[in-house]
Amino acid sequence: MSHVLPTLTKKIEVDTIIRDTLDEVLVLRFGRATETLCLQLDHILSKAAREVSKFATVALVDVDSEEIQVYIKYFDITLIPSTVFFFNAHHMKMDYGTADHTKWVGSFYTKQDFIDVVETIFRGAMKGKLIVKCPLPPERVPKYQILYKDV
Amino acid sequence: MEEQHDSENARVGTTKQKKKAEYEFCKACNINHNQGLRHKYFPNHKKSLSTFLSRFRNKLSDVRFFLNAPIPLDSQLASRNRIWCVFCDQDIEEHSSSFACANAIRHLSSAEHVKNLKHFFWKYGAAADQLDAFMVSDDDVAKWEKRCVARKDEASEGCRGKVFGPSSDDIHNQVHSGNVDSLENVYSHSVKSYPSNAVLPLQCYTNESQISCSGLSGVANVATSSEASSAAIPFALQDFAGMLFMFIGNVSFYSLRLSSSCLPLLIPISSGHTESAGGNLHSGAPPPWVEATEVVQIYSKPVLGDPVSHSNKLGKSKKLNPKRVGAAWAEKRKIEMEKKKRGETVRNEYDANWLPNFGRVWQSGSRRESRKEFEREKQKLNVETQSEMPIKIQPYVSKRMVSFILWVLKIAGLVSFKTFSQNQLALS
Repeated sequence: MSHVLPTLTKKIEVDTIIRDTLDEVLVLRFGRATETLCLQLDHILSKAAREVSKFATVALVDVDSEEIQVYIKYFDITLIPSTVFFFNAHHMKMDYGTADHTKWVGSFYTKQDFIDVVETIFRGAMKGKLIVKCPLPPERVPKYQILYKDV
Repeated sequence: MEEQHDSENARVGTTKQKKKAEYEFCKACNINHNQGLRHKYFPNHKKSLSTFLSRFRNKLSDVRFFLNAPIPLDSQLASRNRIWCVFCDQDIEEHSSSFACANAIRHLSSAEHVKNLKHFFWKYGAAADQLDAFMVSDDDVAKWEKRCVARKDEASEGCRGKVFGPSSDDIHNQVHSGNVDSLENVYSHSVKSYPSNAVLPLQCYTNESQISCSGLSGVANVATSSEASSAAIPFALQDFAGMLFMFIGNVSFYSLRLSSSCLPLLIPISSGHTESAGGNLHSGAPPPWVEATEVVQIYSKPVLGDPVSHSNKLGKSKKLNPKRVGAAWAEKRKIEMEKKKRGETVRNEYDANWLPNFGRVWQSGSRRESRKEFEREKQKLNVETQSEMPIKIQPYVSKRMVSFILWVLKIAGLVSFKTFSQNQLALS
């Protein structure tokens, strides 16, 4: 599925796509194209990318790449696949009801879930909000646990 | 009293009007205005000034080409080889010169031109760092003159009958390179004008089978983009095809023979030019337009949310909420990207360590702080690794142990008595 969407493997590529995506939501999927869950998410992203193309850009980031490690650390990515949202080079948070508001961890249940999330982020961002509430019911958000830093 | 006051006011008004009424012509905007010196700070003026300068810069790029590679000028072409200097308002003719753009090069390096140029830059408020682009330094002129002399010697050494040969070749080369340039221009225009943002995923769907062949995705993309642009700009593509034929006709050996039989007007060129380009059709090298478009694609790929195409796509100039997230940043970036498109230098280039604002998981406070925190962490890590590096951790070996090992080795006859006793002395 990774050949349908642009796959970024260099830091400079990630930098430019963050900087040059203006007035649109940028969806960055951090993951490995060989993992099952990642494949499922990629499938949903590739199907939905065209439908959200008026207000969002989707790109995949390969976590195994050497140059991307700085972003893995910076974005505190411990579980893959993780999806991070940006708007005008600003990080967009969302209150999913899970511990981590900074990124979506795991896959989506349906394509419509993804579209809803991106649309909510876009609408919030256009109103100047840096954090929005997740439009999905809690049972449709994948559950996970994160540990405080190194503890 | 009041009347007096009124009359004073009226006088002041008239003097103001008089001051304002002094119209002058702005070369960059091509308008008469009565705004005085403040006109140069207006955004419209700045925009038209940058296009004005970039247009002249394009013209000067030809002159720069001849500065690096002096080419003898044919007397028939001399009347066509002239340039209008926008700073000095004069036409530079080449009637008397034996090399192409000789007078232009001399004019660009002259003190008068530099003076006019500086006055123009002051009057119209252009950036001083662009001054060098519009003049030629004395060193370059000296180098150019040396090259000219060398070229003349070459020409005089060659036999008389052949003198015309190389010059016509050169002119043909020049025409040919012009073709290639314009070809690339046309192509890049067509690629740029194609709204890549909206249709890109679709394009990928329709070509899924092609793209899935590894490594061919670039070529496939090129093909689709050219197809798409054919719908939009048929004329440009026709031109492109025509030039393509010209180009291939010039480059390839077989069609050269063909062209000489069919089109006697085409003059064969020396193959040195094509060899320097690295391979041709028959050696399996990728065609130059593929490389050119790849560069364009790499450049245009990140411009997914291209502001211009975005607004075109919407069809109407939709006002975005000025309070939206990162509005100021978006405006700034748009201006930068437009400047980059026009080929101007952008002041604040981003370095390799650039990071976006990001609110980290365990972070409270502003998002800029989280970047600072991350950088602090990274520095700490660097310092730790650096301090660890020089210290080599070795297991402790007692002196008695060393002497015992040496003694064992001595018994085995591996170490001579001399070294053994030296070690003993050192230990004691």
